[in-house]
Amino acid sequence: MDDFYTKLAEILEVDRVAADDVLSEFEYWDSLTVLSVLAMLDSGYGVNLTAANLRELKQAGELAAVVESRKRK
Amino acid sequence: MNFVFRDKRISGLLAVVPANEGNFLDEMQNFNFPKNRSLKLKEVMGYDKHRLVESGVCVSDLAVFGLRQLIDRRLLDPADIDALILVTQSPDLLMPPTSSIIQGRLGLKHDMFCLDINQGCAGYVVGLLQAFLLLEQPAVRKVVLVNADVLSRKTSPKDRNSFPLIGDAASISVIERAGDDSVIHANLKMDGTRCEALMIPAGGMRLPSTSATAVLEDVGDGNLRAKDHLRMDGSAVFNFVQTEVPPMIESLLGAAGTPIAAVDWFLFHQPNRFMLQKLADKMQIDHLKMPSNVVEHFGNSSGVTIPMAIAFNLSPRILTERFRVCLAGFGVGLTWGSMLLSLGAMNFCELIDYPNSAEP
Repeated sequence: MDDFYTKLAEILEVDRVAADDVLSEFEYWDSLTVLSVLAMLDSGYGVNLTAANLRELKQAGELAAVVESRKRK
Repeated sequence: MNFVFRDKRISGLLAVVPANEGNFLDEMQNFNFPKNRSLKLKEVMGYDKHRLVESGVCVSDLAVFGLRQLIDRRLLDPADIDALILVTQSPDLLMPPTSSIIQGRLGLKHDMFCLDINQGCAGYVVGLLQAFLLLEQPAVRKVVLVNADVLSRKTSPKDRNSFPLIGDAASISVIERAGDDSVIHANLKMDGTRCEALMIPAGGMRLPSTSATAVLEDVGDGNLRAKDHLRMDGSAVFNFVQTEVPPMIESLLGAAGTPIAAVDWFLFHQPNRFMLQKLADKMQIDHLKMPSNVVEHFGNSSGVTIPMAIAFNLSPRILTERFRVCLAGFGVGLTWGSMLLSLGAMNFCELIDYPNSAEP
C-alpha cells in the first residue's frame, strides 16, 4: 500500500503523506481533490467510494485501511 | 430496458452555438478560490472556452435560427416535417410547449405532432428513442429532433462547481426511415430516487421564484448560488457515471453482439474531460475513439453535447463515410441511456454560430 500514500501525496501536492495525517487539514483538501481521490481509488484499486464515505474518514491511515479491505484482489 | 429499431437513420445534423464566448481565465476571478487551484481545475477538467447566450436569448431563438438556415438552403422542406420533438430543460415559457412556439414562428403545417420532452444529459438518446417510436407510424415520414438548452442563464457565475463547464447550444437532427435492413440497439434506465443530484430548486410550482430564491448563498464550499440556480452534486454524479455507465455499455454491446473493437466511435455526453477519460480507462476504450473535446471548446450544453461531439469531430467525413457508433447520455433524472447505430452518408452535418446581437 506504499504506492497509495505516494498517489495521495501527488494529488494533495505535498512531498509525503503519513498514516496519522488528518485529511481535512491538508491545504488542498477541496472538492477537486476529493474527486481526484475517488477517481484514483476507482482506477487504481477498483474501490468505489462516495464523497460522503470519504468525509467519514479522518486520517489517511483510515482511508488506507478501507482501500486495503475492499480492493480488487 | 432494451430497445431494437429497424429501418431508421439520422439523415442530417446541424449544431448551433452562440457566437458569444466566455473564457475560464477571465471568469475564475469570480470564484472564491486560490488562483493555483482554479488553474489546476482548468487542467484536470479541460475548462477553457465556453459558448454562452447573450442575455434574453431563448431556446426557440437558437432553434428557429438553425431551422431557417436549413429551410433557406433547401436542406429541409418545412412541408416534410411531420413531427417536431424538442428536448430541453430551459423552455421559453412554462406554458405553452416551446415546440409549439417554434412551430408557430416557422409557420409549419398544422398536420404535425409537436412535443416537448424535459430531459437533460441523456436527452439526445431519449429524443432519438421518441423519434424512432413516432416513425413506426406510417403517417410520420420525417421527424425533426431539436435538442437545445440555455442553462447558463440558470447558473451562478460565482459557482465554480458548475459555471466553468456550462455551455449553451442547440442541435437539429433529421430522423427518417433508412430504406435498408439496418438495426439499431438501445437501452435506457432511470432512477428518480437520486433526482436531487442535479436540480434547479426554485422556479416551478413547488418553490416559485421570488426575490428570496434569487439571493446568492454560500452553500458551504465557498461557492455562491441562489435557489433559482442549477445545483449539481459533482461527486455524486461522478460516482453515478462510473458505476452505471460501463455496465450499460457492456449490456448494449452484448445485446447487439458487437465487441468494443468493432465500434468506430464512442460519442458520449460531455460532462468534462476528466470524467470521460476515467470512463474510457475503466472500459478500456482508446481515448482516440472517445472524443472529450467539446467542453474545452464550447462548454457542456447538456444532451446537446452528443450531436456537438458528432459535428465537431466527424464532419465532414460523416457526409461520405459510414461509422458504427455508440452514443451514451447520463445525467438529470437520474437517467442513463445508450444506443448503437450506423452513422454516415448524412445530407448535412455542420456546426454554425448564432450571431451576437450587435452583428447584422
